[in-house]
Formats: sequence, C-alpha cells, structure tokens
Amino acid sequence: MSYVQKIKLRNTVVEILLILLSLIIILPLLLMIFGSFMNSTEVLRFSLRLPEKWLFSNYLTVYEVGGLGRAFMNGILITGVSSIVNILTSSAASFILARRETKWSSFLYLFFFMGLIAPMSIITTIRIVQWMGFYGSITSVIFIYSALNTAFSVFLYSGFIRSIPRALDEVAFLEGAGTIGIFLRIITPLIIPVNATVAIMVFMSVWNDITIPLYFLTDSSTWTMPLSVYNFYGRYSRDWNLIFADLVMTSIPVLILYIFAQKYIVSGLTAGAVKG
Amino acid sequence: MKTTKSLYSYTLVWPALAIYTVFFVVPALIGFYYSFTDWRLDRLEISFVGWDNFKRIFTDDTLILAMKNTFIFAIATVIGKNVLGIALAVALNMKLKSRNFLRAIFYSPSILSVLVISIIFTPLLRTEGAVNGILSAIGLSSLNQAWLTDPSIVIWTIAGVSIWQHTGFQMAIYLAGLQSISKDYYEAATIDGAGSWKSFRYITLPLLLPAININLMLTLIGGLKVFSEVFVLTGGGPGNASQVVGTIILRTFGEGAWGLGTAINTLLFVAVTLISIPLLLFMRRKEVAE
Repeated sequence: MSYVQKIKLRNTVVEILLILLSLIIILPLLLMIFGSFMNSTEVLRFSLRLPEKWLFSNYLTVYEVGGLGRAFMNGILITGVSSIVNILTSSAASFILARRETKWSSFLYLFFFMGLIAPMSIITTIRIVQWMGFYGSITSVIFIYSALNTAFSVFLYSGFIRSIPRALDEVAFLEGAGTIGIFLRIITPLIIPVNATVAIMVFMSVWNDITIPLYFLTDSSTWTMPLSVYNFYGRYSRDWNLIFADLVMTSIPVLILYIFAQKYIVSGLTAGAVKG
Repeated sequence: MKTTKSLYSYTLVWPALAIYTVFFVVPALIGFYYSFTDWRLDRLEISFVGWDNFKRIFTDDTLILAMKNTFIFAIATVIGKNVLGIALAVALNMKLKSRNFLRAIFYSPSILSVLVISIIFTPLLRTEGAVNGILSAIGLSSLNQAWLTDPSIVIWTIAGVSIWQHTGFQMAIYLAGLQSISKDYYEAATIDGAGSWKSFRYITLPLLLPAININLMLTLIGGLKVFSEVFVLTGGGPGNASQVVGTIILRTFGEGAWGLGTAINTLLFVAVTLISIPLLLFMRRKEVAE
C-alpha cells in the first residue's frame, strides 16, 4: 500500500470513529428537542423517537406559565448593558495600560489580571451592594458582571492594542487630538473586531449564568431565563415536555448568536491559544 | 513632543478600575476580615473570633468532604477535558470530509448553559435511565451504576457531565493552536522518517504548549470554582455526598452563617491563588525555554 493510500485509509477510520463518537453529543440534545414537542406521558419514556404528534403548543404554554417574556427582556437588558459597560471601560483602560510602559501600568495590568484567577467573594459582595442600597436590583447584577468580566477583556484588548503602531497616535496628536480624541478616532475604529469578540464572550457567559442571579436577583420579576427555567423545573417536575421546551427556548438566543458570530468567537479563542 | 504622561492620561483607566475595585476587589479584601468574625444573619454585633471559623472548617466532616470533592472534580475535569480535547483537535485537524460539521457538533454543548445540560442529564442518569440502558444494550450491563444516587461515585458522574459539555471548548482552543503550527515541520519530520507518534511527541506537543498552558489554567481554575453543575444535578446530595465548596457557600449563606461562609470563600481564594500563580510562572518559563 502506498503512503497516500495509507493516509486515506487512516483518515476514513478516524472519520468513522468520530462520527460514532459525535452521537454521544447529538443524542441527548435530540432527546431534548424531540421531547419538547411530545405530550407529558410520551416524554416520560426518555427514549429517542420522533413525537407521535408535534405539539408546538408546549412552547406557548411554557412561555405563558414560565413568565419567559419578562425573563427574556431582563436577560437582554442585563447582558446588553453589562457588555456595553465592559467594552467601554475595559478598552479605554487597556489603551492606557498598553501605551504607558511604567511600573504603575504593569502593576495595574497584573491587578486586573488577578481577576482571571481569583474567585469572587459572594457574601461580602452582597454586603457591599446592600450598603450601596441596590441589593436585589438588575443594576447591581450589571455592575457585578462588568467587574467580573473586566479581567478577561483587559487581557484581550491589551494584547491587541500593543500591536497597533504608536506612530498613529503621534500623527493624531500633532493634528491636535487629546487622549480621548486619539482613543476615539484612532484606536476605537481599529479594535471593532475585538469589541465584537468581547461582546459575544460576555453575552454568552452572562446569559447562561445562574450563580449571580441566584444570589442577587431576589425578586422573580427580575429573573433571567436560566433562573426562571430552574424555578420552573422545580415546580413542574412531572411535565418533562414543558421542561424540555423551556430549555430549548433558553438556548435559542445563544445558538443564534453562535451561528452568526462564529468568526469572532474563533478569533477570541485564537488569541488565547497563540499568546498563552 | 509631549511626554507619554500627558498623552496617555490615567483618566481613561478610572471607570474600569472603579467598577472592578468596588465590585470585585473590595469584597475579596473585606472577606479576609469577616472570615475571622462570627458575622451572622441574626446578630447585630459582629465580634472577632480569631481562627474559630477555620478550625471549624477543618473539623467538620461535611466541609472536609466538600473540599475533597472540589479537588476530585477539578483534577478529573482538567485531565478529561484536556486529554480528550487534544485528541479531538488532532483528529479534527486531519483532512476529513465532515470535519467542519463534526467540529461544530463537538463544540456546541459548550455554548449552552450548564443549567440546560444538567437538567437534560438528570433523567438520563437515573438507574433506569438511558445511560444504563445504552450500556446494557451494548453488552456492558456490568458497568451500570446508580450514577447520581451512589455516594461513592456521584462526584465523578458530575465531573463526567462537565467533561461531556466543555471538552469541545478546549478542543477549539487546541485547534486554533494546531493551525498556527507550520506544515513544513511535519513534512521535514516525515522525510526524516518520523512516524505519527514521533511527530506528535516532538512537534505537535511542544508547539502546542501555549494552548496547553491556557487550557490547563482555564480548566483548573474553573474546576475549583465549580458550582452550577452540582447545584442543578444533585444539590450536593445524596446526603452531602457531592457537596463542593461552591454549594457549601450557598448553604452557609442560606443558613445565615455569613462569617463561616466567607471563611470558606477566603480559603478557596487562597487555594486557587496558591495553586495557579506558581503554575502560571512555571509555565511561562517553560514556554520561553521551548
């Protein structure tokens, strides 16, 4: 057998193995999707089959009973505002930290970097938010998410801004621009792809999270989708068709984002893989 | 020419620094103080109690078990996600017809909420559930387990679910790393007569080191901070068999034992920092050497 044939044979074997392996991922997800259209007795078999009758009405029931409309809007508000706050503050800070090469700026960079490692102190954060008088509010959660994501964003922005030549800043400066002018006119247009990456990373992690809402959103009118789903799961533990429909609905926004914004996710991952 | 000082004013650092400090750093710092107090929900006065909270942590069987479980989970997921992640990445970096499709499939669970995956797996992992069903169907009924109700294996099951969900994320980082390795190295190695294993050992692994480092750090730190998987799959049960540090903190918070809860959090902070920072420095050095 020639070398080329050998490689071809090997690739075919690998491909068959991988396709079999991928069933381990696909089957549980299909079980959820098919189950979400079944009636409440059919779904309890938890076996992979097409629904006898496709009940689209499950989704309507869950939407109304589970209060998903409100939870969706809360989620959009929290993820949207914390992404924007995070992008604005982190990119501005990284610009300065990347340009100044002093002891102070490297100290500040490390100070931010610690946030990638250290776990947050939840109970004392609640205390701080209580002192400030907005415990239980959506505002508190927005600030907390902005703080939690600062480390990662600064890491990503700093790496990118260092690759932008300083000469560009100096030209703008000679034309009379100040710090903010340089940042807005030179840096901001060049870091738009990084903004997209940060926005998507923050959106996905915040949208999917249940820890922070569990501790900080005490009133059900402020709940996000995963927390509403968790609560629904506790109350309707017999109606697995509705639970599955609820899970699918929670996943749709991130799936859509993933499909349309894949390239920005990949560039975020590449930054991590290559820079280390 | 104006100096760097006035051109790059620290004013732009302030907003990020303020939010990060107030909502992340200050809570961590006052956490150190509260760890040494008897801070409770039902008491107005807080007094200093020295090392009492920490003594209690290391004498309470449930708390010790929670710490042990956290380490088991962290180590099991670090190994599982990285070994499988590298294997998948290497396989999906070959010229396969369905490779884009397969990459998307393996990556897809990691974009979903841990809550979603944990709820899907709850019925599948029951004694009469699909996991045991499939094992029996392929003749491996001896491997059937009470996955979520047997105290001796429950934490491993939860680690397994986490590996199932997140290996694709690690795979994607490894793939990005693999694609940055020039094909020339492999061609040269083939000409010199190196087989697949030798190419992997002497070309792929060393050049993949930055990706390995970031993945080890991400999985280790994420593993030590585990909460949602355990919270949704078992709530720490059966009994306290699958408690981890994250779920214990929730419980002490609910019971109003805030001083104790903060002490546990402080311990986690110290553990994560003491483990990751030396590891980070060590890896940095190694990376430069390679």
